[in-house]
Amino acid sequence: MTALIIDDEIQIRRLLRMALESKGYTVRDAENGQMGLQEAVFLKPDVILLDLGLPDMDGVDVLKRLREWSSVPVLILSVRDQESVKLAAFDAGADDYVSKPFSTAELLARLAAIQRRQGTHDAANLQLGPLVLDPVHHEASLNGHALKLTPTEYALLAQLVRHAGKIVTLKQLLRAVWGPQAEEQSQYLRVYANHLRKKLEGSTLEIKNEPGIGYRLEET
Amino acid sequence: MNDDNRPNPDALLAEMQRDEARVKQGRLFIFLGMCPGVGKTYAMLQAGRQRSKEGVDVLVGIVETHGRHETASLLDGMRVLPRRQLEHRGFVLLEFDIDAVLQQRPELVLVDELAHTNAPGSRHAKRYQDVLELIDSGIDVYTTLNVQHIESQVDIVRQISGVAIQETVPDSILDRAHEIQLIDLSVEKLLERMADGKVYLGERAEQAVSGFFREGNLTALRELALRFTAEQVDRDLEDIRRAKRVSSAWKTNARLMVGVGPSPYAESLIRWTRRAATRLNCPWLVVWVEGSRVLTPIEQDRLTRSLGLARKLGGEVVSVTGENISDALLQVARERNVSQIVVGKPEKAGRWRKSLADALIVGSGDIDVCVVRPLAAADKARKIVPLQEPVSDSIIGEYSWVIVALFAIASVCWGLVSYTGYMFVALVFLLAVVIAALRFSRGPVLTMATLSAVCWNYFFIPPIFTFHISKPEDWIMFGMFFIVALSMGSLTSRLRMREVAERRRLRQTDALLRVTQSAALAAEPAKGLAEALRTINELLNANTALVVREQDRSLPKAAHKASSFQPSPKEWGVVAWSYENKQCAGRYTDTLPESAATWFPLQTATAIMGVLGVQFEDSSRLDFVTRQMIEAFALQIALVLEKEHFIQAVSHAEMLSQSEKLHRTLLDSVSHELKTPIAIITAALEGMNDQRSPYITEITTATQRLQRVVDSLLQMTRLESDVLKPNLDWCDLRDVITAAQHAVGAPLDTHGVNLRLADDFPLLKLDHALLTQAVANILHNAAIYTPAGTAIDISATLRDQQLRLVIRDHGPGLPEGAERRVFEKFYRVQGSPAGGTGLGLAIARGFVQAQGGDITARNHPDGGAEFVIEINQVSAFVPPSK
Repeated sequence: MTALIIDDEIQIRRLLRMALESKGYTVRDAENGQMGLQEAVFLKPDVILLDLGLPDMDGVDVLKRLREWSSVPVLILSVRDQESVKLAAFDAGADDYVSKPFSTAELLARLAAIQRRQGTHDAANLQLGPLVLDPVHHEASLNGHALKLTPTEYALLAQLVRHAGKIVTLKQLLRAVWGPQAEEQSQYLRVYANHLRKKLEGSTLEIKNEPGIGYRLEET
Repeated sequence: MNDDNRPNPDALLAEMQRDEARVKQGRLFIFLGMCPGVGKTYAMLQAGRQRSKEGVDVLVGIVETHGRHETASLLDGMRVLPRRQLEHRGFVLLEFDIDAVLQQRPELVLVDELAHTNAPGSRHAKRYQDVLELIDSGIDVYTTLNVQHIESQVDIVRQISGVAIQETVPDSILDRAHEIQLIDLSVEKLLERMADGKVYLGERAEQAVSGFFREGNLTALRELALRFTAEQVDRDLEDIRRAKRVSSAWKTNARLMVGVGPSPYAESLIRWTRRAATRLNCPWLVVWVEGSRVLTPIEQDRLTRSLGLARKLGGEVVSVTGENISDALLQVARERNVSQIVVGKPEKAGRWRKSLADALIVGSGDIDVCVVRPLAAADKARKIVPLQEPVSDSIIGEYSWVIVALFAIASVCWGLVSYTGYMFVALVFLLAVVIAALRFSRGPVLTMATLSAVCWNYFFIPPIFTFHISKPEDWIMFGMFFIVALSMGSLTSRLRMREVAERRRLRQTDALLRVTQSAALAAEPAKGLAEALRTINELLNANTALVVREQDRSLPKAAHKASSFQPSPKEWGVVAWSYENKQCAGRYTDTLPESAATWFPLQTATAIMGVLGVQFEDSSRLDFVTRQMIEAFALQIALVLEKEHFIQAVSHAEMLSQSEKLHRTLLDSVSHELKTPIAIITAALEGMNDQRSPYITEITTATQRLQRVVDSLLQMTRLESDVLKPNLDWCDLRDVITAAQHAVGAPLDTHGVNLRLADDFPLLKLDHALLTQAVANILHNAAIYTPAGTAIDISATLRDQQLRLVIRDHGPGLPEGAERRVFEKFYRVQGSPAGGTGLGLAIARGFVQAQGGDITARNHPDGGAEFVIEINQVSAFVPPSK
């Protein structure tokens, strides 16, 4: 597995390289956005760690350019922790966001999560731990028992399962489930998320709320 | 679908706006009667007492009881406003005190006699203007009115009774009435009451009874009052129908137009048109065609008055120029889609010249022409004499020139006549008349033509020194000379006058252009305005003052420095009135006419930018043309000022956004520089973790502390810059608490957190991240300052859109006097554990305040500290139950 680190701080690059190589990754790094994009083209990495404060261009712009042709999982690693910055990154197509200073263990776990998801993306049956979704009949089962869901609840759950482990922004969820005209109607989303939480209670699955950003379905 | 059935959206909008305006404005109730003595005042007082009983704050502004006991007894127990004393030429006059009413602000005020003319020195010339100002400021008004005082009914009343009414109110005020109540009494009853002496008739009672109060008159007046009220009711009904979209009552797109000139019939024509337009419920235009003829002062005055009346009655005044009146009128009519042209019936059928009515009928095509018989305005013995300009010196000079020239020509020709014959002399005289006509005005020229004819006859036509002419051909010659001299003189002088008029018009247009250019295009706005004002001064021979509003829409202390006079302190009152009421005020107007200057509001379509004052050096009238011109200037200046205002606003906004951007960049780079080393240390420590050295544990703890300090400082900086804007979105309070607990992390492990929240607690519109951080900081404090094992209780309630979130711990509580100080920056309670910054609660409060709320702290009676977050005006969403 190959990982590409785009960050202008050499110490951070060295530390990340050590941590990733210890987990069996082949690591390449780039010190600015242009070089990072070139490396991404030639190397075709399995995962990218991207800093937002790059010397030559903004990290969000690097991400947008990258997303024009690639769907490689990208994890943002930045000192900026304002919600607006995070939202912009997620809207540009980031898969996860870890703010500096970070815990290496958590970072590695998140990396694993976004890569795992990449593999399950196109499966006919959506599955996450004890939860199995049948996209054809719009039915779901938990631990082998059928789960009673309304069509809206199913659509929401399917979105969360499809991006399991990853934050899905409110806007993305609203657009996918209710359509583009409902992007400002987050109150319905909150209500349905609470319904789903109640139905998933007692299982290993948890719908986590990221303040001001969105939801993340996690298996604990 | 049939489009004709759909109500016109413009009309609906106008109706809605009228509804809205009514909400903000006071309401006007009019008690309408056919003549004095029907009991209007009595009815008004009764209604006022009734409202007073209902608990409304009623004030009797002014009521004339005319010494009648029944009426006076109704005043018992009512709050009566003392009258204002005004001194005028040694007399003390008692008037309605509008300022006192505006100050006391009752809910309802009773004002008798709407048509009353105020004493000189009052704010407004007429009482109805006082009433309009009262309802504009939101006070309800009850008032009384006789039908003969309504402007559009004046002519009819004069036809009925032969009495010319001086005190009138414009019809537009009746349109603003919320309700018109007719006080009706049969004629017999009225005459009975009069016979009993129950009707006040003033000092000239006898005369009044014989003249005005004849049974025939009264019956006609009663019919007038009834019909007028019926028309109003009809219109109200139509308004209701329109609002309810009953489109069957929809009127056609009629539009009336009346052509007026400086004739005494104009006013009557305007009133007729207004009445017709009211019945048809359509807009109406008053058009004045300005020809080349210079108007005499009397005509000028009449025209100004007529056009003023048209405005007052709610007509649109249009002035155009043109030699041929009928062509000009028809052109306006076509341009404005007029359906009907109103024109006065010619007095005598002209044998040779076609009358205006005829010309209009011939050329009108598909437009209806309505010929009406107008009534000459009773010039009401208007003070025309003082208005007539005194014979100016230049005219006297012209006459003397004419006589001297005649004398000189006659003497020279006397010497020459023996050589040339007396026919030659006639030509010399003609030449002199033509030359004079090129220089002098009409009067002297015609005098010269006549005198030269007489002179020629007397001194030169044989037999000389007599007016007798012996030969018939000389008779013919004399007649021809007379006609030629007169017509040459008058033609030439008319040509000259036309040229003068043309030049004047050109000067006005030129001045307007110069004002626009200098004000709008100047690099420095102040200089441009000064230039513009100078141009106006030169053109009008007047002084001007410009008062420009401040940024906060208040009036400044002094006039703009480009002004050529400063308003006196007394004058400032007029300025303020004009600015606030967006109306022309001061000299030559009906509002505060005692002041020295006339003030024009600088009004654009959207805003009022200030006022422009004009003080004329000579005390001439303010005629219609000049007034229109000043209004045009005022509009131009207002537009320039508004543009300037927008430019400033835009640059201010740009500056703000620049500084915000700068701030954010700075904050980003500082946080990058501070956080990166910490991130490196943290990551490196984690990499070393397997060695379990005690040194590493110490470094880890210190790094965590450093990280907390840096985070707090950065948050504090964010708070203190104005960059922080709450990003409101729907959030679930449970999510907020959970996220806050998660953010605090390890310190909370030794405390139990109990959340008490109703199951159906609604979603709230708040800034999720800010509130989470605020709650986290309070929880962190509670975790650190209370013994391990004690619980933390959280509960929330929502009442009247106020969120109240209470976080209570079971620790030792706050030290005495620290309840407020804990929220101060860097304040730490004595004996606090090391590692805090004293910023946590300050940040929490800042984040809550950013959402329009506040935090307070106190000790709970049962022990422990209690922090209460209160946020007002929170929108809540209750999910619909299934």
